[in-house]
Amino acid sequence: MPRHYDLCARVQNGFAARLRRIAVPDTKMNLAISNVLYKEGFIAGVSRGDHVQPDTTYVPTTPDNIATRRLWLELKYNNDEPVLKKMSAVSKPSKKIVMKVEELQNLAAGNRAQFIKGLQPGEIAILTTNYGVLELRDALEKGAGGELLCRAI
Amino acid sequence: MASPALWQRYITASALASTSRNVTRTFTTTSAVAMARQRPGASKPTVARVPGLDHPGTLHNLSEIHPLLDHYPRKTDQDGNLDLETPKLWASAPPLDNMLKNQADDDVDEASLPHGLTKDDLKKFLKRALVVKRTSNMTTAGKIPSMYALVVVGNGQGIAGYGEGKDDEVARAVRKATNRAMRNLTAFERYDDRTIYHDIDHKFHATNIQFRSRPPGFGNRCNHYIHEICSCIGILDISAKVWGSRNPMNVIKATFEALSLKQKLPEDIARGRGKRVVDVQHTYYGANE
Repeated sequence: MPRHYDLCARVQNGFAARLRRIAVPDTKMNLAISNVLYKEGFIAGVSRGDHVQPDTTYVPTTPDNIATRRLWLELKYNNDEPVLKKMSAVSKPSKKIVMKVEELQNLAAGNRAQFIKGLQPGEIAILTTNYGVLELRDALEKGAGGELLCRAI
Repeated sequence: MASPALWQRYITASALASTSRNVTRTFTTTSAVAMARQRPGASKPTVARVPGLDHPGTLHNLSEIHPLLDHYPRKTDQDGNLDLETPKLWASAPPLDNMLKNQADDDVDEASLPHGLTKDDLKKFLKRALVVKRTSNMTTAGKIPSMYALVVVGNGQGIAGYGEGKDDEVARAVRKATNRAMRNLTAFERYDDRTIYHDIDHKFHATNIQFRSRPPGFGNRCNHYIHEICSCIGILDISAKVWGSRNPMNVIKATFEALSLKQKLPEDIARGRGKRVVDVQHTYYGANE
């Protein structure tokens, strides 16, 4: 079961290598984080496929093809630069970071909270809440705190 | 130093001389043709091949005075004939001043300045000689000392540059550095004309600098070299910390690199991500109103 920092590494390296699309393990957590990245405009698309290429038509996941299932993320570039420069994990198995709404408000304002630096212009933070995997500002709208998974800029 | 009027006279005279000198006179061709016709045993007249003048149609009628080919500022007779006997004295090159030999790097060429800047604007620029050192070049003859200067130049409105100069005297080195700085001006992006857009981390050689954007009224609380550069650029609120080497030359170069290369504007971020961007401070909280 790959953790969220595996996705962070794959996405960051894919952008650095100027790839068109990358394949990541097809898990619920990876799909949820990829959806947030897509809604925020860091990637151009999310689709399911096998280890070679994305699916052109719907292919159901069965025990026969589960080993080949991948999530394909289409990467974006603008002005000869990657749209996503850095994606790093915040909460790690060695030190889990769970934040309350007040601390999240500090982060959104650019101030420090719990040894975590505030968000810079253009930066997002992804956290899991009781309402699911959300971006930091969406979580604030719902008034929910949770475990800060990763941050992307 | 030669007066401007004298310089002007030398410039026009040398320009005239060059136009007359560059023209190929065609009397040589006709004389060669005449000689060829007289040479015994020659089957065909050998004509000197002058590019562009091979075709007879391009030959000028040499009996008439051509306004371009025969442009000599010489006296003419009452009949209008040119006096070709008295030799023309060409204007000599201007005398080489001793001061010109040692002049520190030519004055700034206005063509090398960024668009819209004139030499008058440069006079109002802030000039700070931040580093002045005594260097020595070790040779077989011994230690040859020379003075090194690093000068930062800026208008306090977002345009600044730095230059380095070396000479035997401090004043000349500083002047060289200042002229080089004027030639290497760059425009810097500032949020609200007072601070940087976001925090910047930059590494240059062994110097690591962390810049932090700060609210209005905060001031420039940073390394003294960064402080001077920020006042030249026109950054009013910033916080910075230099980690690792604090070598002044490298701190200055690192600062210029970081502030010009590493700033990302919100408009560019929004364009890349396909989002609309609104400055909350100005739109909702009414800053600068």
